Amino acid sequence: MTETVDLVVIGGGIIGCSVVQHAAQLLPPSTRILLLERGPVAGATSGSCMGHLMVTPDTPQDYAFTRTSLDLWGELQQQEGGFDHNPTGALYLADADEDLELLPTLLEQFRANGATAEVLDGRQLREVEPGLAEDLPGGLYYPGDGVVLPMLACGAMLRVAQRANPNVVVRPGCAVIGFERDGDRITGVRSERGTIRCENVVNATGVWAPDLAELAGQARLPIYPRAGNLAITGHHVSPIRTQLLEVSYLRFAHGAATVDPTRTDDDVGGHAVNMQPQTNGGCLIGSTRQFRGMDKTINHALLRRSLSRAQRYVPAVATAPIVRTWVGLRPYAIDKHPLIGPWPQLRGLWIAAGHEGLGISLAPITGRLLAQQLAGLAPAIDHTPYLPARFAR
Amino acid sequence: MNARILEADVGVVGAGPGGMAAARRLAAAGLQVVVLDEGQRAGGQIFRQLPVGASGHDRIAEPPSHEHGHRLIEHFERAGMDRRHGASVWDARPGRLWFEQGGESWLLRCQKIVLAPGAYDRVVPFPGWTLPGVMTAGALQVMVRGFGVVPGRRALVVGSGPLLLPTVASLVSAGVQVVAALEASSRWRALRALPAVIGNGARRREALWYAKKLLLAGVRLRWGWTVFGCEGDGRVQRAVIGKVDRAGRPRRDTARAIDVDVVGAGFGLVPSVELGLHLGCASRHDAARGGHHLVVDDAQRTSVAGVFAAGEICGIGGAEVAMAEGELAAAAVLHELRGAPIDAALRRAVAAERRAADAMLAAFAPMPGLHELASPDTIVCRCEDVTAQRARAAAALHGSSLRAVKMGCRAGMGPCQARICGPSLQAIANARPDEVMDRPIVQVPLKVVRSETIVDAPRD
Amino acid sequence: MSGRIEGLGERPVVTITFGGRQLAAFEGDTVAMALWADAQVALRQSSRNGAPRGVFCNMGICYECLVIVDGVTVRGCTTLVRDGMVVERGGKP
Repeated sequence: MTETVDLVVIGGGIIGCSVVQHAAQLLPPSTRILLLERGPVAGATSGSCMGHLMVTPDTPQDYAFTRTSLDLWGELQQQEGGFDHNPTGALYLADADEDLELLPTLLEQFRANGATAEVLDGRQLREVEPGLAEDLPGGLYYPGDGVVLPMLACGAMLRVAQRANPNVVVRPGCAVIGFERDGDRITGVRSERGTIRCENVVNATGVWAPDLAELAGQARLPIYPRAGNLAITGHHVSPIRTQLLEVSYLRFAHGAATVDPTRTDDDVGGHAVNMQPQTNGGCLIGSTRQFRGMDKTINHALLRRSLSRAQRYVPAVATAPIVRTWVGLRPYAIDKHPLIGPWPQLRGLWIAAGHEGLGISLAPITGRLLAQQLAGLAPAIDHTPYLPARFAR
Repeated sequence: MNARILEADVGVVGAGPGGMAAARRLAAAGLQVVVLDEGQRAGGQIFRQLPVGASGHDRIAEPPSHEHGHRLIEHFERAGMDRRHGASVWDARPGRLWFEQGGESWLLRCQKIVLAPGAYDRVVPFPGWTLPGVMTAGALQVMVRGFGVVPGRRALVVGSGPLLLPTVASLVSAGVQVVAALEASSRWRALRALPAVIGNGARRREALWYAKKLLLAGVRLRWGWTVFGCEGDGRVQRAVIGKVDRAGRPRRDTARAIDVDVVGAGFGLVPSVELGLHLGCASRHDAARGGHHLVVDDAQRTSVAGVFAAGEICGIGGAEVAMAEGELAAAAVLHELRGAPIDAALRRAVAAERRAADAMLAAFAPMPGLHELASPDTIVCRCEDVTAQRARAAAALHGSSLRAVKMGCRAGMGPCQARICGPSLQAIANARPDEVMDRPIVQVPLKVVRSETIVDAPRD
Repeated sequence: MSGRIEGLGERPVVTITFGGRQLAAFEGDTVAMALWADAQVALRQSSRNGAPRGVFCNMGICYECLVIVDGVTVRGCTTLVRDGMVVERGGKP
């Protein structure tokens, strides 16, 4: 069976769904768009991650990137909803006095971008969150962060897409097994259920993006799975209302990895607390980071440390009922920036992958930037730092 | 907290008929045995005992065949072993069982594991099944026989299979008026179970005992009927009942309302297979035996070395099967640890009990049409409040697999971990009720435990 | 509507508090059964729509009977009563 479409998006995670949504909204409604997903939609990283909507203020570019994306999340909530969008704000918590030194820098970064944030002492902290430990010295409150349920958000994005464009088809349970090309130009995709002719293909397969690139005859992309152990409590028991992060999370999660991601035996892993209250009253507890290939078995030592650190900040976590624990894999790009745009060595091949722990935050802007490039429109923000060409030989 | 570690030759999970039979035999042979059971007293669901201090279980709807079970309890409780009640096993690997008991975090190190965790009720979703007062048939049994509590004044019992009669008997013994007792299977379909009942002395006596009990109470079992929905303000006050066709599809033109204040529903049992799957044991799907169950060889060995299984976890079969399999599992453990030969009579007993049970259960295999009882706005997943309609939308967009439906609407992701909705979820979401269900997705903790239980878990 | 079957022997009586009201129970009762015998059928509110929920499986499987005992959320059907225990309805506050 051969079918013909205009755009194939491979990967039904949050990035692929966002690309489909924005392509459906920005390209003419006659554009035939097909989403191919090997397993279930939201069945891999987007179904096993936290639901962090996080603004990173480190540089004006970072701020514009994340802030614009969070605004797009707000628009999706207005348009569609149904994914437990919860504007919780974020508390960056200091554990000990030496962490306090990090707070003025963070405050300055938010303010330099024109954002509101405030540094709180221990007493003020507990006014915001009565469940916090009494000996915490202080923290920083930023009201602009939030939480979503990513798997439900995937569905919301696809529903918006199908309303904007009746020619959007979602096909879960259909793996890509090869590509068709004519010289330096892509002409189609071979799937388990037949060949699809198309001019443009987006590789949005996250931790599998290097495999797909290879399948298309290209160099492997420098994206590596970075495992995180997670735990979730039962409903109605969350001792917190605000998203909590250790202030050292910033160094830990967004600083350069100090280990070689290709040498999975070397990494003993690390952790920094991230706790997210959920709309049903549950609480999601992370986060750990470790390079160890595609292994999804729980690292009990890291999980225990992570829960024990959560207890340190919120003592009531100790008796909170844990319903599930699991591992998700973040797609870590070697230079810590996602890859968004055309692949210069094979015309018609596009990439949207490599967001590490910011994939949920950055999904809307990623879909928007890629769709704008596909449509030949001016990008919403400076997109050049994310062009995959930086890895082309 | 100090590390709390136990050492034993054998860890037995469950103190129902299968676990008790295995543990007693192992202890009698001089092995060190630790039994981990979630209940407060031995007996499991079928031989529920009243709390310590209360007396008179013989007064509450115990058929003559239960004497056997209560003798087993006596022997089990006299045997020398470490019996731990109120213990929830939340993580495991061969030779290791992590459990929470009284808020403490424990590890049991043992050479062999015998799994006998039993089963739980299958309830097909119907409108109003989330109202307080609507519960599983097993819940009513626990209430009456386990605690001597009266469930209500006017009861409706619905479902399918051999456990409806004991449920009715318990209610009658508690002085409850059973307004209607509805078996979804047709009388003609049920006739297939007859040879299995008549051909087995104990089952025949039991059936007659129940028949007499119902007759004396004036309760008539109606075949080919079920509940269409329940209504009430804050608790169940009315039920709509009616006839179903041979596939279990409701015949709406037969609907009629009755006043009730408690409803017990049980459409068969589901093997409690999670711990076995987590240990990596091979499983198979067999609708008549309750769905996914572990595969065992002719000595109750699972596919994982050192892990044995007995009773409902190997497919629904009832107490007699469980006891026979518990004895055989113990003999197999003794064979591996002590080189003792396995008595061929034990194997023959298991085979005979399984044959009889399978013949009986074939008459009550799940009826796919019952999934049509749920209306679009009926809650399917009780933990996450997901309606049938939302589950269908999720399947349409995310895919038809169990995981896809979960990801699409979060059904099955609450604290029960899909034990309640799982058996119906895929069928309802995909409107393809006759398909084999995906294996349950099992994640640690296998039972909900405190965060500190995980943090303090003894390293192995 | 509910209550106890007569003549099952004597067990020591304990007092628990549910929703601010004191009630008597027997040693060996679970919280869920003590409450049912006292005609308390709504034990929690569901997490999304707030509807009342009560005992469903009564054997620790379904987590429908979640109540808050001395500040900690537990299954009512697997938690034994203790004299002086303070029980609150589980679920949406």
